[in-house]
Amino acid sequence: MLKLFESEIQNIDSLSSEQIAVDVQSLSIQLNNKQVLTDISMRIPKHLTTALIGQSGCGKTTLLNSLNRMNELNAHYSYSGKVLMDGKDIYNKKENVARLRTRVGMVFQRPNPFPMSIYENVCFGLKIQGLNERRKLDDAVENALRSAALWGEVNDRLFDSALTLSGGQQQRLMIARALALEPEILLLDEPTSALDPLTTLHIEELINDLKKRCTIIIVTHNMQQAARVSDYAAFIHQGELVEFSDSDSLFTMPAKKQTEDYITGRYG
Amino acid sequence: MARTKLNHQQKHAFSSIISGFAAASLLIILVSLIGFVLIRGASFFWPMTIYEVTTQDNSTGLSTEKYEISSLDLQDLQSNLNVRISAQFVDDTLALPFVSITQAKNVYQIALSNGAIKLGAFSSIHTPLGKTTDLQDYKPARDAVNTLIDELSQIQMQHLAIIHRTLADYDRSNVAQNAPARIKVMQEFDKWQRKTDALNMQLKQYYIVFTDAQTSTFRVYLRDLDRWFKPNEMGGLEKLGYMVDRFAQFLGDSPKQAATSGGVFPALFGTVLLVMLMAVIVAPLGIMAAIYLHEYAPNNMATSFIRISISNMAGVPSVVYGVFGLGFFVYVIGGSIDQLFYSDALPTPTFGTPGLVWAALTMALLTLPVVIVSTEEGLRRVPDGLRSGAYALGATKFEAIIKTVAPIASPGMITGLILAVARAAGEVAPLILVGAVKFAPSLPVDGEFPFVHLERQFMHLGVFIYDGAFHNQTNTQGSSMMFASCLLLLLIVFALNLFAIIVRNNLKKRYVRQ
Repeated sequence: MLKLFESEIQNIDSLSSEQIAVDVQSLSIQLNNKQVLTDISMRIPKHLTTALIGQSGCGKTTLLNSLNRMNELNAHYSYSGKVLMDGKDIYNKKENVARLRTRVGMVFQRPNPFPMSIYENVCFGLKIQGLNERRKLDDAVENALRSAALWGEVNDRLFDSALTLSGGQQQRLMIARALALEPEILLLDEPTSALDPLTTLHIEELINDLKKRCTIIIVTHNMQQAARVSDYAAFIHQGELVEFSDSDSLFTMPAKKQTEDYITGRYG
Repeated sequence: MARTKLNHQQKHAFSSIISGFAAASLLIILVSLIGFVLIRGASFFWPMTIYEVTTQDNSTGLSTEKYEISSLDLQDLQSNLNVRISAQFVDDTLALPFVSITQAKNVYQIALSNGAIKLGAFSSIHTPLGKTTDLQDYKPARDAVNTLIDELSQIQMQHLAIIHRTLADYDRSNVAQNAPARIKVMQEFDKWQRKTDALNMQLKQYYIVFTDAQTSTFRVYLRDLDRWFKPNEMGGLEKLGYMVDRFAQFLGDSPKQAATSGGVFPALFGTVLLVMLMAVIVAPLGIMAAIYLHEYAPNNMATSFIRISISNMAGVPSVVYGVFGLGFFVYVIGGSIDQLFYSDALPTPTFGTPGLVWAALTMALLTLPVVIVSTEEGLRRVPDGLRSGAYALGATKFEAIIKTVAPIASPGMITGLILAVARAAGEVAPLILVGAVKFAPSLPVDGEFPFVHLERQFMHLGVFIYDGAFHNQTNTQGSSMMFASCLLLLLIVFALNLFAIIVRNNLKKRYVRQ
């Protein structure tokens, strides 16, 4: 089983277009008249975990946000390039942004539960989609909470405020909330940076389980975490993609000097 | 003189004394304000003492007696009267009469249903059965009178009212004076009219005879009698009961005797209705404006200009709003409505005259900045993470605002609304211009179609107090009525603020993370 799994990890360039979830093509982004990303091109494989690593402020969060067009919430924003999902550019004018975001879920650095019950938090996205049938909602909530390994802890208090949960539980609730919409891609923006090591481990295990259901792209500062959870890893430095390959090679024998310096802790 | 230097500890003590002094004096001012209004207001409900005032004319030696009620004690009243009399006889000090005051015994304060108050000692009760001096006979007589009054009002409501309406209909449809239908109705009318006359005659047979201080007698018909009691002989508990009774009457009754007795119900009703209407207008406008400004408006010159204008709007003197309301709402908008829909009634204006709806609109305009500013304050407190959280789950901007931002900002919205309501409840100047009057013959809501008459003038507590201040200040009753209304207004505003605080805290508990 493990062998089979490992055998899937191949050179990115040899992947066929069916195995690609997101195809970023020479994407450049300016925020507040500052160049944040310069000419990024990367093909992110399906049903695997890709980690984005790099210094603070190198643009990895911006890259993540560009995959579900969250950057647009910033008023001073401009871009060039393409981001293809299933062969279609998500930046085309006809794209329904709200629908796109249900296909590309996102979990933020700090848990941001809505001040409602746990149940309401999980079915928030579904209700916006217009799903109002109680039975279906109940099923979806249970499924999502089970997938996020939270069901056992909250099934007896689904209607308590989500704010009563602990930090780790809240972050798993955020994952459940995103999963309830059954996204194709899940974006995780430093999901464990505000959590203790044990809870972090929980979430990492969870990420490994979730791979079966969706493509995961995770931004992290923690090198060990990136090595542990990711199949592929990209190192970004000052808005440029320095190296992108399978995690094993990137962390054991990086091709670029800059990457080596970063992962061995010589800067950053 | 040697300069003394303060050491560190003294400096510290000095600054705390200075700031403590400021805080303490503020507190003292607040407490004395509330205490003053409370005491003066509450004394309106407290039964007053009846005194017998004897004035002896110096030249003739003749003395006149009269009963007088006063909330002052014997000595205060004496000196008060002396001042009053010496002012009258300032040229002719020799003719200065001699005045003596004693507390009257066994004298009744007789409150009539028209609000007038008479003072006298009980003499006898007269009924069709004859005259008695036994107070036990009052109760059956009262019951008999009440039955008669009920009968009278039954006839009024069930028969005469219908006949009046029918006659009015005939007049409108030009039925001839001698048409058979009309004659029949007129006969009916005569029949019931005779009946009421008979009942009224019967009612006149029930009365009580009192003697005044000069030992002459006067009659009080039971029909007109509201209550009678002996304040000088009342115990503490009885007085308290009277007070509660009077307060209930104050809330539920109309002003009587040129607003010196009775109650303030129409003013209270008008205030509440005005405030509700205003809230209905200002809440959606203010909240939507604030949401636009905070969530949608681009951050540019135009937006800051709008923000500055809103802050300035809060500083515009309220009478200016009143003038605007009169000039624009009443004359321009009201006038156009009249020309379009009520042209038959012109030149008598229907909407083109000050009225409730224009007052509500003016007050809504006046309180708009309060609502906008505090709603924006509430919106600013919503963490950005919640907005992006909603967006990331596929919410559009509108959905994100309605489902997450607005509920969390709701404490701010409620606070703004209640502040606006409290302001409108206490405002006077603009209201006088756009529809509040010191006496309105009818309430803006009644049984007549269409039941809510927004074009009518109305009474308002603030205006009522303002008007009360112009009454004769030596008339302690009258001035106390003003203080009592003041107390009521203060209570309303306090209650509203308390309500706002409770609602805000509850919402905060629900929506704001710890």
